[in-house]
Amino acid sequence: MRDALRLRGVTRRFGPVTALDQVDFALAPGEIHGLLGENGAGKTTLARVAAGILQPDAGQVVIGGEPLGARGVGGARALGVAMVHQHFSLVPRFTGLENVALFDSAAWTRRGTGSPGYRERVEARAEELGLEVQLDVQVGGLGVVERQRVEILKALMGETRVLLLDEPTAVLAPQEVEGLFAVLRQVARAGAGIVLVAHKLDEVLAVADRVTVLRRGRWVLTGEAAGVSARELAEAIVGAGVDGGGGGVGGGDAGGPGTVGGGGEDAPKVGAAGAEQAPEPRPGDDVEVARLRAVTVSTGGPIPLRGVSMEVRRGEILGIAGVGGNGQRTLAAVLAGMLPPDSGEVQLPEEVGWIPLDRTEEGLVNEFTISENVALAVHGSDDYRRGPWLDWAGVAETAAALVRDMDVRADSSATQAGVLSGGNQQKVVTGREFLRSGELLVAESPTRGLDVKATVAVRARIAALARSGKRPPGVVLISSDLDEILELSDRIAVMVRGRLIPVPREDHNPTAIGELMLSARGDGDP
Amino acid sequence: MSTRTRALTPALTAAAALLATLAVAAALLALGGYPPGDAFAALFRGAFGTWDRFVSFTLVRATPLLLTGLAVALAFKARVWNIGAEGQLHAGALAAVAVAVALPGAPGFLVIPATLLAAAAAGALWASAPAAMKTGMGVGEVITTLLMNFVALFMAQFLVQGPLRESRGVFNQTDEIPPAAHLPDLVPGTRLHLGFLIGILIAIALWLYLTRTPGGFRLRAVGASPQAAEVSGRFRAQPVVWLAFLASGAIAGLAGGVQVAGVTHRMYEGLSPGWGYTAIAVALLARLNPLAVVVTAIVFGALSAGGGAMQRDAGVPEVWVRGIEALVILAVLTVDRSWQALASRGSRG
Repeated sequence: MRDALRLRGVTRRFGPVTALDQVDFALAPGEIHGLLGENGAGKTTLARVAAGILQPDAGQVVIGGEPLGARGVGGARALGVAMVHQHFSLVPRFTGLENVALFDSAAWTRRGTGSPGYRERVEARAEELGLEVQLDVQVGGLGVVERQRVEILKALMGETRVLLLDEPTAVLAPQEVEGLFAVLRQVARAGAGIVLVAHKLDEVLAVADRVTVLRRGRWVLTGEAAGVSARELAEAIVGAGVDGGGGGVGGGDAGGPGTVGGGGEDAPKVGAAGAEQAPEPRPGDDVEVARLRAVTVSTGGPIPLRGVSMEVRRGEILGIAGVGGNGQRTLAAVLAGMLPPDSGEVQLPEEVGWIPLDRTEEGLVNEFTISENVALAVHGSDDYRRGPWLDWAGVAETAAALVRDMDVRADSSATQAGVLSGGNQQKVVTGREFLRSGELLVAESPTRGLDVKATVAVRARIAALARSGKRPPGVVLISSDLDEILELSDRIAVMVRGRLIPVPREDHNPTAIGELMLSARGDGDP
Repeated sequence: MSTRTRALTPALTAAAALLATLAVAAALLALGGYPPGDAFAALFRGAFGTWDRFVSFTLVRATPLLLTGLAVALAFKARVWNIGAEGQLHAGALAAVAVAVALPGAPGFLVIPATLLAAAAAGALWASAPAAMKTGMGVGEVITTLLMNFVALFMAQFLVQGPLRESRGVFNQTDEIPPAAHLPDLVPGTRLHLGFLIGILIAIALWLYLTRTPGGFRLRAVGASPQAAEVSGRFRAQPVVWLAFLASGAIAGLAGGVQVAGVTHRMYEGLSPGWGYTAIAVALLARLNPLAVVVTAIVFGALSAGGGAMQRDAGVPEVWVRGIEALVILAVLTVDRSWQALASRGSRG
């Protein structure tokens, strides 16, 4: 049988980042094909290349036997490819019917008036698909489930050979997911091939015929959904450390047995720091710098926290793994002292360093110099004031020291932050936040979007901060990159749907943690 | 792409924008059948031809532009798009007249500060409504400040036709303020008054505030990136927005008070030919730098002073000057963008 969609050796780069690296992919007509991988594995890029939104740098996209070439979105649509984006592409002020008609040439006559009987055809199609769609309500007033139905109906109005869905379940509650899957099965029965991009294993296994796993832009495996276990998939998704974990950043198992952490336990730690940190006993290691007890946040943060307890000690790195969007941001804001919890007990140092997720929007002011960015942290301190004036000479001195200590590649501390490379920007943020607090440092995906070399450098800086000096800070490392967590952390916990699940030391391996990350285990607790 | 060349660009941009404006204006004048050389020469003579033309006309007309330009620059620096300097100026002028008229016997050292403070307070009050709408409800200040201008203009119209109309009841204007409330002359023998010096002092103070103090640093941070200010600066952006809004309104209100106390000595319809709007061009051409605003305000003051001479000596209608002012804004924006495009191309290549 001819493939509904085939990708041959597709490579796609974004600047220095290779999002897809010679990926082959085949989709049979009538099958539901789950596409799995971590954040940044290349799933969405693959879908967008298949939809003609992105041009591949190398390789070929073939739809129903016909090469797509450079025909772009229009060409892909003409060949029967439809895509439902993670962020809906609907006009809020239009009704469902108007949204469906907007990009459907069949809705319009040659003279630009509404095609007679179009509404009936839309209703018939919706019924055929088993989609309950509100056609006469402004989309902006609909709930997310209804909006998704409009989006799907819109995608399926024409002749559809390939349906691409990017994380369609991310916005749905579990009971709503089943409804979506019923629709997908219906569409597949009608002969269309479906690519379902997702990162929740159990959901994909429930509906998919086959699954493909990508990791760091590379194809890892394709198999029958019935023939692979969730454990195997989890291992494939996060990488069990056999392939060197992505270009020399350091596999999960790298690093020798360190003796970091309190209590002098002799259990070997996974990936403790680098080899350059000689293990040395430090007085006051086990001094607690922060403690959360049953912290709950249901308002103010984007995703609630549910009964989170943790403590952080000096000189340790507490790794918090998890798929993005499970409450990590809320936790970071609470730890930074920026978000008071609804209930629970919070003990924090007076100042907390926070390396925020979004380096360029939140971590730095791009048009400010390095000095001025350092001043963001110190401008309120009496040490940097002379009467009513800000002591810019003092700030510049501190910034110059930071540039030196953090090995920032910049002409001087008067260089604009915006012209620095991502890695150097992150070093500035890291150094500044350490300046702000020698007690507690919260790092939120500190190497996201950095190339391999910069990743190594930033991780080394964070490890060095936590493990050197007489009074090292406690570090909370929040990351969806499991390699990073395993490489740097002394203790590990996993964040799932607003809950924090500690990982016992013997489970400090990609498989066990990966399974926790991708499970819904956080839900069972009372 | 050293930091040195970047530091030079604001002055270069402004110069390039002015040159571009002159070129386009020359072309348009030629198209309109006016010899551009004669027109520009007349304009220049009118603005700078004699000491008295410069001081009594150019600088006097630059004064309200200087103050409103500073008001706009301060607000824009904090990413507060205050388009309402015109309305705030009117509010300030009304308050100044009301206070000065209410204190007929008071000595100058009392009545002048009282007048100017009332003007500043009224300007801030006028700005507080859009500020509250922005910070409390997220209503965009571009619309609200702009609409508040019309409210202020109509209110001024109503007051000078009714409650505050002169006791003679002839013209739609207020009574003259008592002589003690007149601003003293700055340069003897000219019409330049203390208001110009006040403008210069405020420019210096704002410059010091923005570049040398923690509070000014916060304001710049909020203007550059409110998210970064909150997350990395750990302070709330909203109080900073309030401060910038109110201070901007106060300075614009002061412009109205200074004009009344220094030049017109009374309030009437059409007090301002749109200084509050020209102020946006003044501030943008100065790249929001308060010290540069002094220079750009004088440039626009010269345009205004030279416009009359251009009409008289070269027969070019004065409205052309308004067109030139508008061209300056377009030129600043265009030159800025093309510079950025060039710079990014250069840094990539």
